Amino acid sequence: MLSAFKSIPTYMDYKGQKLAEQIFQGIILVSAVIGFIYGLFIQQFGWTVYIMLAGFTVSCFLTLPPWPMYRKNPLKWQPAVPEASGENRDKPQENQKKKKHK
Amino acid sequence: MNTVLSRANSLFAFSLSVMAALTFGCFITTAFKDRSIPVDIHVSKVMIKNVDDFTGPRERSDLGFVTFDISANLQPIFDWNVKELFLYLTAEYSTKSNALNQVVLWDKIVLRGDNTKLNLKDVKSKYFFFDDGNGLRANKNITLTLSWNVVPNAGILPLVMGSGHKSLAFPETYETSKSY
Repeated sequence: MLSAFKSIPTYMDYKGQKLAEQIFQGIILVSAVIGFIYGLFIQQFGWTVYIMLAGFTVSCFLTLPPWPMYRKNPLKWQPAVPEASGENRDKPQENQKKKKHK
Repeated sequence: MNTVLSRANSLFAFSLSVMAALTFGCFITTAFKDRSIPVDIHVSKVMIKNVDDFTGPRERSDLGFVTFDISANLQPIFDWNVKELFLYLTAEYSTKSNALNQVVLWDKIVLRGDNTKLNLKDVKSKYFFFDDGNGLRANKNITLTLSWNVVPNAGILPLVMGSGHKSLAFPETYETSKSY
């Protein structure tokens, strides 16, 4: 069963990762501000924690699974060259392309 | 951030840091608050005995018996940063042998959500009011004050004395009957 879990693809491309990070940071900060103000208003710190946990759960749902919106900018790989001598020449070019994306 | 575990790690660590900042905010909003309230103490019965005291260096010491009433409204002290209050009633006096004596006679724990109006009548002391020696007899000025220790959710635990105290005097002679 574990192998079935491990075979599910969970990658996101780089722009997707940046988007996911912005989304969860934004949601948690907003829920923290709302929770702080609400807790201060009703004078119970427990509610601040509950609202924070709700924000945490929402952002878990939105950013942990690899939704399609995080895969909009896939990396452009070079096309594979079938000959052995051709591959040796292409490899350094591929490495260069990857470094530019990072 | 390429795998689920890496994203989950990042998300969880960020949430914990934000929680720590919120807790600090909770502390800051209540750190400089004055937690003193007026307290009303009445004393209904005062008696003194001279008994064997096995805890001290001498044969017999003075043992005081005080029955009191306390009334106070603790509602203004509770806010979102207070978990419970530890109340205690102190008797403070001076004798010929010691300049300052402070004895705790009674205490109570008041949790958040408990009834905050304190209206106790005819309460006997919880702890023995032993004197270090024989200084209670005919002592004219014993001051009873109610203080409390505020236990917060986040921050320091201040000891606050209530405003309002009661002075009482002990009688000249010892009680010789066996009953309390």
